[in-house]
Amino acid sequence: MFQIGRSSIIPKPAPRNLEDLDSVQSVLMHSDLEAEWSDSVQKYGELFYLELSDNEEESLLSEIPVVNHVRFSENEIIFDEDYLREGRKYEPRLKKFSKILKSRRLLPKRYKKKNSNGPVSILKHQPTQKMGIILQQRYKDVSVFVNPKNAMVLKAKEHLKLLEVLLGIIHQTKWKKRTEGTKLVVHGLLPGGPAMKSGQVLIGDILAAVNDVDVTSENIERVLSCIPGPMQVKLTFEIANARQKEASQPKQKKAQTTSNDLVRLLWGEEVQELQQNLQSIPHIIMYLSLQLDSETLKDEQEILYHYPMSEASQKLKSVRGIFLTLCDMLENVAGTHVTSSSLSLNEKLVHVAYWKEDDKLLLIGLPAEEVPLPQLRSLIEDVAQTLKFMYGSLNSAFCEAENVARLDHFFNLFFQRAIQPEKLYSSTCTQSYDASFSLFTDTLPGVQWLTLPQETQMEIDMVLNDLEAADFAELSEDYYNMRRLYTILGCSLFFKGYLICSHLPKDDLIDITMYCRHYCLLPLVSEQRIGHLVIWREVFPRHHLQPASEPDAQVFQEPEGRYFLLIVGLKHYLLCVLLEAGGCASKAVGHPGPDCIYVDQVKATLLQLEGVEASLDERLASPSNPSLSCADWFLPSSRDKLESLTSSPLLTKLQYTSRAITSPSSRRRLFSDYSLKTRKLSPSRSNGGFENGVEGGEGGGSSPYTTLDPLPKQGAKEAQSPGGPQASSTLLKVTKKKATLPNPFHLGRQKKDLSEKEMELFEATKLTSGTENTLFHYVALETVQGIFITPTHEEVAQLNGSIHSQLIKNFHRCCLSIRAIFQQSLMYEKKKALNVEGNSESPHAASSLSPVKEHGVLFECSPENWTDQKKAPPVMAYWVVGRLFLKPKPQELYVCFHDSVTEIAIELAFKLSFGLAT
Amino acid sequence: MAEDGTSGAVHLLCLAASSGVPLFCRSSRGGAPSRHQLPFSVIGSLNGVHMFGQNLDVTLRSARTEDTAVVWKTFHDSVTLIVLSSEPGCSELRLERLLELVFGAMVLLVGLEELTRIRNVERLKKELRATYGLIDSLLGDAELAGDLTQCVDCIAPGDGPLLQEALAGFAEEVGSVFASLVVGGRVVVGTEGWWRLGSPEAVLLPWLVGTLPAQAARDYPVYLPHGSPTVPHRLLTLMLLPRLELCVLCGPQPPLSQLEPQVLERWWQPVLEPLRACLALAPRAIPAGFSLHPDILGLLFLHLEQKRAFFTVDLGGEEGPSPRTRRRLLRSFYVLVTATHFPPGQQGSRLPRECRVGSPKSLAHVSLFSSEAGSSEEKAEEQGCPTGVPRACYVVSGAAAKGPEGREDPGAGLRLVAIQAGPRRLLLLVSPQSPTHALRGLATRTLHALTPFL
Repeated sequence: MFQIGRSSIIPKPAPRNLEDLDSVQSVLMHSDLEAEWSDSVQKYGELFYLELSDNEEESLLSEIPVVNHVRFSENEIIFDEDYLREGRKYEPRLKKFSKILKSRRLLPKRYKKKNSNGPVSILKHQPTQKMGIILQQRYKDVSVFVNPKNAMVLKAKEHLKLLEVLLGIIHQTKWKKRTEGTKLVVHGLLPGGPAMKSGQVLIGDILAAVNDVDVTSENIERVLSCIPGPMQVKLTFEIANARQKEASQPKQKKAQTTSNDLVRLLWGEEVQELQQNLQSIPHIIMYLSLQLDSETLKDEQEILYHYPMSEASQKLKSVRGIFLTLCDMLENVAGTHVTSSSLSLNEKLVHVAYWKEDDKLLLIGLPAEEVPLPQLRSLIEDVAQTLKFMYGSLNSAFCEAENVARLDHFFNLFFQRAIQPEKLYSSTCTQSYDASFSLFTDTLPGVQWLTLPQETQMEIDMVLNDLEAADFAELSEDYYNMRRLYTILGCSLFFKGYLICSHLPKDDLIDITMYCRHYCLLPLVSEQRIGHLVIWREVFPRHHLQPASEPDAQVFQEPEGRYFLLIVGLKHYLLCVLLEAGGCASKAVGHPGPDCIYVDQVKATLLQLEGVEASLDERLASPSNPSLSCADWFLPSSRDKLESLTSSPLLTKLQYTSRAITSPSSRRRLFSDYSLKTRKLSPSRSNGGFENGVEGGEGGGSSPYTTLDPLPKQGAKEAQSPGGPQASSTLLKVTKKKATLPNPFHLGRQKKDLSEKEMELFEATKLTSGTENTLFHYVALETVQGIFITPTHEEVAQLNGSIHSQLIKNFHRCCLSIRAIFQQSLMYEKKKALNVEGNSESPHAASSLSPVKEHGVLFECSPENWTDQKKAPPVMAYWVVGRLFLKPKPQELYVCFHDSVTEIAIELAFKLSFGLAT
Repeated sequence: MAEDGTSGAVHLLCLAASSGVPLFCRSSRGGAPSRHQLPFSVIGSLNGVHMFGQNLDVTLRSARTEDTAVVWKTFHDSVTLIVLSSEPGCSELRLERLLELVFGAMVLLVGLEELTRIRNVERLKKELRATYGLIDSLLGDAELAGDLTQCVDCIAPGDGPLLQEALAGFAEEVGSVFASLVVGGRVVVGTEGWWRLGSPEAVLLPWLVGTLPAQAARDYPVYLPHGSPTVPHRLLTLMLLPRLELCVLCGPQPPLSQLEPQVLERWWQPVLEPLRACLALAPRAIPAGFSLHPDILGLLFLHLEQKRAFFTVDLGGEEGPSPRTRRRLLRSFYVLVTATHFPPGQQGSRLPRECRVGSPKSLAHVSLFSSEAGSSEEKAEEQGCPTGVPRACYVVSGAAAKGPEGREDPGAGLRLVAIQAGPRRLLLLVSPQSPTHALRGLATRTLHALTPFL
């Protein structure tokens, strides 16, 4: 709209200091006047633009040298000039680069465009093949990522040569007499330069070609100056000493494949290895019409959409008659919708889940080995929900021809995620990203939340508030004297895949999280530094589009607006912003594309947050609160080690580092134990014990989804602590905060007492009583805010132990089955709530297990490789316990602890995790 | 078809696989046989979808709606059994086992040959009528758990050795190795040969005896689904006391007339008192003198290798849910435990191992060993490591809470606990006043106390 190429002056809301402002502006200044992504905008204004950061590009390069970025929606039938532009942009940048070179007549004539994969290597023209291995190694291709923008700054300062600033290669021309076209011998490498980072460029190598353009000392500067923007460059070196090059390349390569595969999938490329694995596994998604027009009996006319086309899936497609008949008949017989059926296909059990809406039927079939039935049912619900979020309704998603390519991509990702998540996600945290973990967390109605130190949280909150206030010049209505385009409804911020701050209602948060999950954005940002990610699309959040039950003047009516989702990723940050058009903002017309000002503003917000990154990393690196134990410490074999560990300062440090003040801790811990005992003695011990906890939590957390803010509690705690100037400053902030946010602590004196007690519990870093910490792992799901808390991957990695990782795998597997039982309970409760008047069935219902509110399983394990034949392997027993709280709002807790925990401690563990979640 | 029409009902359909002709349909509602039947069109399409899949090499195994489950199974390519259940908490595991048992019952009474080579459908239909009584009892609410656990329901008599001796002597004199004493479908004592009977018949024979109308003596031809599915044997039953029957499985010899009253008297007169005691014991299954913790409302104690089980809810404790509810709870819990935590493949391949009575740890050691020694492929695939061998689990059921009218939910807060040690598995239903953390200790103690019986 009113984007007049003035992105250089972005008035920043409430700049913290001048440096901040400078950095933001300088970065923006360096970016092109026209945003990089502006060419990738799709017909309906949709945008999915992903560019990796320098480091990641470099690693990716070894795999695919041609692609820099690709958009993935395939509907290219756009207006003519757009199409031309698209087409141009569609070419990988390397080609573009070559083109530029060609136009400047720098490109040697032998360069021919032979295949579409990219420029032909100059090496192919040389008869190296015949000469055996040694000669083949005479040349090597090294791909590096160069960013001329960064370089310009440096260059301006130090008057360096492009060779040095861009590639980090030092070539001393003085050493030799300047002759025509001397060889470019690498005399040195700049520390931190791309060449050094690649690890493959050695001193003494001779730079022969850049992107297959022969270079000498003569033309190198000119060639390099033609690099238009950040991109990958292939350097060809003549190897000085062929033998030196052994290195650890192959290993590195392997480690990188997985993460790269994800990116490539996202870019919409075919990833051979991944696809091949899926070929033989029967899986299918079908969208069938139940209303058949008998007049036009065509083959397969009832199939509105299906994916994939593989042979194993064809079989499932051919028996769709079964699904249609079952759906129709069983509904008549039983009076309830069909939810699933199981088939065996080539000796393999396949579950098919049904989702019926109107007169259409959505089916997803997956093998039982990969996805157990209860999870499949949550998966199909998620898919339906996400598609509705993206397209408004299932019908509009599936019935429009132009969506087919996008849906193919969507379901390709979906099946990859469902069937081989461990392959998709990075190898760096494989142990925690195993199949059960991803299945478990993916089907939880929430997002993993990272608790943060008070100040950091404050800072982030303020930055986001500033963004949401949207009173920067371009967005203010006074500035242009016209209505703003969008109202910012709220935003949520992710860091490395963890939610760190959300100013969105729960439903919106869940919707957005599910969208991010389906596009694997969270694992992506956690593993890779994103150079630039911009996603823009119209969305249909259920929370806002629900029809009002009754027109009531008192109740707030959602404006009849349209909603847009803007996701901007930078490095490890991901900021999701929900925008509303209509209502207070002007109405959206047609399919508006991403607005530069909003994108830039969000980007600026992220840049502003860069300063926080250090403290976030620190938080990730610090041991968790509550602290965890490693299972391996508890095996009798390593008993002595454990003893030394507990007494050593290391463990104590583990338990206490997260807190600055250690002295009150003992008192607090005492207090917590005490309060617990009193609770234990209370008459409601056995049955009402949990309820007690629930009520306590109610004080803390049931302020019906206002803002996601656990901080008042923490803040208040800090205010109490005897402290220096720091504490007093936080106190100030806290009071300010309290004024703006609805705070449960203001509700009343009584409640406050209770919450204080809770707070003490919350304080304790060690959940369990006794001398040893026996908590291994936990997951706390809170449905009011749609979050769950579990130790971060980093924390789990810190407790690295062979048994421990197995234990966690098992924990997640067990949680899956426990959760399946809880789901039944929730369903049962829902049903009970529905027919509360005519409960003629209640005696019947009592005879089934539902509702289950607690379920625990005891496991035993022993070391994997027990070599001592004579002695029995030591055994360690641990519990996995899940508990379901139905009131006030459904919450689920899963903990894993050593068998030796005392009874009281178990209760404590539940209460504390509870305290965490509120 | 109203919604209420099928709730809590079980429908069993039996069809000839090739022709799709219905052989019989049995229904039960709320645990009792019912005349209500599915309309023919539904029967037709239920069979139709299964056949359609079969033609395309896809076997339809089960389907679920929110409250109903359907399971299909074809036996020997000739008989298709379909069960549709809308009982609360119906599970595929239970229904699959039910179908297997029903087919076993059909073979038991009709013979495998009749079922696999169907020449005259009408005749087969008539013959299958004999199985209705047994099948109806399988569909309904039984006091036994054998249909679900695939273990023989037993009673632990007070004077076991005495009765065992008498039975062995009697069997020897009669010339059969298969003999047992049965009270209401539960086996009191059996000869070694009797315990070696294969899987379906070991459960079915006592069950059959329990369902047949009371008679002083019977000579009943039976096929053994596992042992001899085509050659019939004779099941002789003699009523020693009302409800207490002596069963002998034998070939053509001896004729029933040979079992003269003198023979019976000689062997059984001396042990009349212990026999009477057994009768009184029938629903309780474990000796009266054996004291259990008063919080225990019901128990299911299984020996997975010997395939025997105690199942009882008559342990005192008048308060709490009705016996029927207790039985259902324990059965549901068994399904949960078996389906999710202790998969059935696990114990099948495990070598029998003596379990020492001792501390829980030593018990666990032994069992862990054995599970590792014979760990099945399925488990190895699934875990690949010894981490996480499930040993025990518990469930707290019921959301606590009073209903809107202040009415206490009868199932509120009940605890169920299961513990596995070696081949033995114990499931307990415990009253709400027992604290959760004490459950495992309670279960372990009870298991040790019960170990001598099985």
